[in-house]
Amino acid sequence: MSSTTAEQTTAGAAASPADTDHPIHAAHTPSGTIRLGVFFQGVNSSTAWRAPGAGDQVAWESFERLITTAERGVFSAFFLGEGLRLREHQGVPLEFDVAGRPDAQTLLAALASITRQIGLVATQNTTYNDPVDLARRLQSLDLLSDGRAAWNIVTTDNAWTGENFRRGGYIDHAERYEHAEAFVDVARRIWRGEDVDHQGRHYHVRASGRLPRSRQGEPVLFQAGVSPQGRDFAARTADVIFSPFGDLERAIDFRHDIVERTLAAGRSAESVQIFPGAEFILAATDAEAEDKLRWVREQQVGPQQAIALLEQYWGRDLTAYDPDGPLPDVDPLVAESGVTRGAGFQFEKAQELTRAWREEAAQKGLSILEFARSRQGSRGSSFTGSYDSVAEQLAEYARWGAIDGLNITPWLIPGGLDDIVDELVPRLQERGVYPTEYSGTTLRENLGLPALA
Amino acid sequence: MTTPPVLTVDLPSTPARLGAVRDLARALDAAGLGALSISGDAERGDLHPIHVASHLAPLTRALSLVVRTDAVDVEPFHLATQLMSLDHISGGRAGWLVETRTDDEAAHVVGREALDPEAARRETSDVVTVARLVWDSWSDDAVVRDAETGVYVDAAKLQYVDFEGETFSVRGPSITPRSPQGLLPVLVADADRAAVGDTVAEQLADGRAVDVVLDPDATAQEIAGAVREALGAAGIVGAELDPQAADTAAASAAPSTPRLVRLVGLLGQQDPADDVAQSQRADAGEDAFRPAELASRVADAAAQLRADGLVAPAPSAGNTLREQFGLPRPDVTIDPARRSDRARTAQKETAR
Ligand SMILES: Cc1cc2nc3c(=O)[nH]c(=O)nc-3n(C[C@H](O)[C@H](O)[C@H](O)COP(=O)(O)O)c2cc1C
Repeated sequence: MSSTTAEQTTAGAAASPADTDHPIHAAHTPSGTIRLGVFFQGVNSSTAWRAPGAGDQVAWESFERLITTAERGVFSAFFLGEGLRLREHQGVPLEFDVAGRPDAQTLLAALASITRQIGLVATQNTTYNDPVDLARRLQSLDLLSDGRAAWNIVTTDNAWTGENFRRGGYIDHAERYEHAEAFVDVARRIWRGEDVDHQGRHYHVRASGRLPRSRQGEPVLFQAGVSPQGRDFAARTADVIFSPFGDLERAIDFRHDIVERTLAAGRSAESVQIFPGAEFILAATDAEAEDKLRWVREQQVGPQQAIALLEQYWGRDLTAYDPDGPLPDVDPLVAESGVTRGAGFQFEKAQELTRAWREEAAQKGLSILEFARSRQGSRGSSFTGSYDSVAEQLAEYARWGAIDGLNITPWLIPGGLDDIVDELVPRLQERGVYPTEYSGTTLRENLGLPALA
Repeated sequence: MTTPPVLTVDLPSTPARLGAVRDLARALDAAGLGALSISGDAERGDLHPIHVASHLAPLTRALSLVVRTDAVDVEPFHLATQLMSLDHISGGRAGWLVETRTDDEAAHVVGREALDPEAARRETSDVVTVARLVWDSWSDDAVVRDAETGVYVDAAKLQYVDFEGETFSVRGPSITPRSPQGLLPVLVADADRAAVGDTVAEQLADGRAVDVVLDPDATAQEIAGAVREALGAAGIVGAELDPQAADTAAASAAPSTPRLVRLVGLLGQQDPADDVAQSQRADAGEDAFRPAELASRVADAAAQLRADGLVAPAPSAGNTLREQFGLPRPDVTIDPARRSDRARTAQKETAR
């Protein structure tokens, strides 16, 4: 199937897939199931810290509750994000969003003690870590968890983050994946017990792998970053992609693209799984869920946050603007929204983006506040509806084979998984599209990945 | 009045012994031991000691977890945030035994050449300084969660680290809020004293760990005897008993104050080959290494030493390591020049 066909198929996404064995790509057979993971973000406005029941973002009890609930719901994985510098806007740390989280691996090593089957995924950067040290720490986590560790490979590479590290901003943005590829290669050789003598462009490391292999052999590799280079890197290297494409149409396109790239890399079409980020707003009825969505958006994005969001793209002080009024009619001060720092906001074309936003808001009659709330949840996808309709919707994804799972960012910490596990999971299980128990003890087994040679 | 040192058992973080180490940690916690120190040497094939300490935190309630780990061939920012994360996870039970690696092997791992001993000591001192600046980069009340103003974290209560050292610099602030103890106790073990150097051991540290090297099968009597001897040799027993030597506040806060007595060697040889042999014996049902039995020997020795006031009393759940040491919890002082909202303040000044 060509990509044109994929687009045509996409147009009829509401209908059932035409070819039930291979609805997206002739080489790809859908598993017919989906899995769930939880992504504890710990930064940005996805977490409604003002909502009743919002708990501590750092307390052990919060993580304990989240992961215990996730494991009760047979979730495949518990994910932690990473940001190696506190997000800032114009030289001042962002004040309106949640911020501050424990180190990912240090926390996961502890969570390994209170769980038995759920996977433990650490987002870890290839630019500001040393490959052998990172490999050994991940392998330690894999051994401590008896084969449940994974590394979510990210390549964030700005010099601003580099100010916290020895090498500073030493690599060029264009080089990030070349560097990441060599980095991952070194890590894998360490895991396999080899002697490594790696002379790269930026450093020369010599070390030996000395730790034994874990029950799953070595950590599972996730990847997040969707530039063409990022996709090819994932196609060659990763077991799972953490993608931002959650709505069915984009998920289908992305799957098609990844299957093509994976085949081109000489791997089978099923060897790279896709887990988009997602947010779930659930209630007993669709109407209640819609009301809840509105309420959650109000909790996530207040007036000050709405102004701050625009300032991040306009690159100028907008506090004089009324959050209930129209979007600012001035142009941004910056060409690229690089003044705001944090993984999500780099290198966006500020002029084009802000102009498009102004048009969109004017057309829909949205105020600054309403517009900011409408943008919330855009990284990944929102699933809003009754327990039954969302279960139906996910069953549809499973039939398409557009995704292998969803990585849920709870809007509420720590109680945000409760309704998903208590109400949605049983409905998915009734429909036969979700595991009723863990199929093994390692992450590799529970994701249905092939065992390592 | 000086608090007597906290009794500590050193656990090498060998993967073959993981199950036994978990059991031992639980047993020693139940037996009222003050702390575990966790050592790991990656070049020898050990698990990362910070990971192991963190892993043991939910399995234990009262004892503290002191990580012995290198300050030199690491990213100081990562090390600082990992250690403060351990403090969050353990509810304030974390401490750091500073190690200074000066060998080529450790340096080559991170793409460096080994530093000469003097440079390594200077770097150790820089890393300890930076770690504390990172730990102090958030005020305790920085997370304000003010629904009215929409402010979650107040930038005026954060400060940059702004450290420029000889070999590295760190901007900050931390990506992790201030931890339960504020500043983790920083200690130097006798084994590391020379490599770590005078600046850290005599000026920066919060205390010393007196190392007591033992045979794996040492009896409770022998353990207690060896500790008495070591404390006597270090002049500590005398100081304790001599009212004339009763410390002033200054003396009790001295970096060389013995805070830990570290029992080293109770888990046997640290050669990985031996561990494999041991775990095979254990698989075969031979009790080469019996956590419950070892814990009871240590508990007996601790009871004898406590009866004489030579080591600190058993901690209770909720005690921090600083509390066990009798050290106050330090406040953060925000330095106006490093305050994280300085860019905004400067803008307002210019506008005025
Ligand atoms: C869904 C998703 C989640 C991500 N989470 C993180 C994160 O937690 N920390 C981080 O440093 N980068 C994260 N990133 C990845 C960086 O944004 C990525 O390294 C950067 O976008 C460069 O890759 P690219 O150019 O291929 O997109 C994430 C990316 C995606 C798509």
